[in-house]
Amino acid sequence: MTDATTTADLNGTTAEGPLLAFDNLTVTFTSDGATVYAIRGVTFSIAREEVVGLVGESGSGKSVTSLAAMGLLAKNATVGGSVKVLGREVVGLKEKDLSKIRGTDVAMIFQDPLTALNPVYTVGWQIIEALQAHRDFNDEQAKAEAIRLLTLAGIPRPEDRLSSYPHEFSGGMRQRVVIAIAMANQPQIILADEPTTALDVTVQAQVMRTLQLALEETKSSLLLITHDLGVIAGIADRVLVMYAGRIVESGTAEDIFYQPAMPYTHGLLGSIPSVDSDDGGKLAQVPGNPPVLTDAVVGCPFAPRCPMRQAVCLESEPSLQPVSDTHSSACHFASEVITLPIGQMFAVDDEVTP
Amino acid sequence: MTDTAATTTPTATPVEMPLLRVRDLEVHFTTKSKEGVIRRPSITVHAVCGVNFNLYQGETLGLVGESGCGKTTTARAILQLERATGGSVEFNGRELLDLKFTEMRDVRKQIQFVFQDPFGSLNPRIPVGQTIGEPLIIHKVGNRAERAERVAEVMRLVGLEPRFMNRFPNEFSGGQRQRVGIARALIMDPKIVVLDEPVSALDVSIQAGVINLLQGLQDKLGVSYLFVAHDLSVVRHVSTRVAVMYLGRVVEVGPKAEIYRMPMHPYTQALLSAVPIPDPRRERSRQHIILEGDVPSPVDPPTGCRFRTRCWKAQEICAAETPKLVDGGGGHEVACHFPEAASVL
Repeated sequence: MTDATTTADLNGTTAEGPLLAFDNLTVTFTSDGATVYAIRGVTFSIAREEVVGLVGESGSGKSVTSLAAMGLLAKNATVGGSVKVLGREVVGLKEKDLSKIRGTDVAMIFQDPLTALNPVYTVGWQIIEALQAHRDFNDEQAKAEAIRLLTLAGIPRPEDRLSSYPHEFSGGMRQRVVIAIAMANQPQIILADEPTTALDVTVQAQVMRTLQLALEETKSSLLLITHDLGVIAGIADRVLVMYAGRIVESGTAEDIFYQPAMPYTHGLLGSIPSVDSDDGGKLAQVPGNPPVLTDAVVGCPFAPRCPMRQAVCLESEPSLQPVSDTHSSACHFASEVITLPIGQMFAVDDEVTP
Repeated sequence: MTDTAATTTPTATPVEMPLLRVRDLEVHFTTKSKEGVIRRPSITVHAVCGVNFNLYQGETLGLVGESGCGKTTTARAILQLERATGGSVEFNGRELLDLKFTEMRDVRKQIQFVFQDPFGSLNPRIPVGQTIGEPLIIHKVGNRAERAERVAEVMRLVGLEPRFMNRFPNEFSGGQRQRVGIARALIMDPKIVVLDEPVSALDVSIQAGVINLLQGLQDKLGVSYLFVAHDLSVVRHVSTRVAVMYLGRVVEVGPKAEIYRMPMHPYTQALLSAVPIPDPRRERSRQHIILEGDVPSPVDPPTGCRFRTRCWKAQEICAAETPKLVDGGGGHEVACHFPEAASVL
């Protein structure tokens, strides 16, 4: 487990080794002769009971990263590098062996809870099945435990709801049922991919509270993938920012939110309107669009949109380099960027600009 | 807006006549009953039940609420895209709900709609210039050359290059497509643009550009926006005043600084308290109000106050009497039997 320990802040290693370790993961998709370089070398690890937030916009590769960890990628994907779950290599593992890891060591929570629930079985049946698969419970014990987990997940009248089918729950309740099933599996790692994205804000608050209770209950680690920086701010110990298939910045939540060292992170933070101030001025505006990764990348993938780019940015792609003990950035000018007020470099004047 | 807007809003002075006046608006959807082997009784969905608000010249009214609260239905009913079952919508003093189709067409020159989905709302087989210019043909404005000139002008206005007018929607990014929708809405020089979740399908870095554009256009053209959205941060950023909806009713409305700093309705407080703030130290030290259960069904909504089933302040009167919107001063109206200002952000 020494392979992920090269950069200090990417290293979730404790004495026992990381629970989940990605080492130079690459994923390419081919279809009709075209190749998409979706993940271009991702290295990080997660320690026990650690909460890591993975943020980025559509197409940055954050979901592909988590799917690769579970061997859930489509057949046209080519995976390189290594993903280790509890020290065991997942890349290249057979389906039969993968399914043993899924659900037991690693629980997954997706955006759409219906994909995780079987529509033809009651919720009670599904929780009890999980409980009896992993623990030596008789029917009565399993039922009592299922009720306890549903209560913990904040489902009202859990005794009655055991006999309900997934379609009889609302979206937020379903996601809480999924979390209850995840708890039944006693996982060591929870992978949550946009778990609250489709939900209303008051329901999101309910689900995030449930997720936090689940972490306390199972003592598991969490990899939380989301585009919502507010959600990340509330829960993550460490934050990884992805852009164009790579991690471009990594640090503690405070590093990322208060002293971003990568221009893209500045753009992300500066473009969010503030809910707690009346400043109705211009938002930071990142010009252009993310690159389409069909060609090999030359130079920094963010350079075409970056107000600080220099000649070097178009020639060589910066690697993730430490700016402090806990903080790394993939920018040639990280030490300068870290000193700038957030979002300022993307400030727009008051003219209507394209 | 300036800081003085906290106490009195410059646009909402009582002497000024609203551009749009919505009173007791009601939209109920009724399914047909079925007879035979599988019987199904008629069901009425009370989507919008007595909505009241004004929209003034040059301002942005943010209409917020969660899924199913009726905000989109309200917006659509104003333009008769849904049929209102009761109430009144006055535009410049003229009642819209009684208008015939042809009369309504005339009004639509002045009230335009921008849809949420920049992918679904554009015809993929029609070049964007034609989509943008279509209202000119419908309303028989100008000749071909004049229309093309106007399309180019409005494309420049929204930050699209006119030379792309013959391209198809699939050649544009999400943000650019939403600009096409905005250009189409602006081409008739409307007084009001109704924006239904105009940025919610876009990534934040793209969303910021569209928000900046909308604000810039308002400064330039003096157009009023009815801005329908679920994102409370976006709404605070763009709005002059804000109306909060819950289960078919407006529960609180007022100048945005009032609504966000000192919300009076328990639902507004719960809603604002649930919004995560992208600042780790603040977010982790905040108290969140976690609501119990789900929103009740609009098929059989609670009597009296519709929020009472989830409200920590509910008393008998809340079930017996529907609270009306009452002005607590400065145009800050709240529909609650026990209103009490609290700061939750």
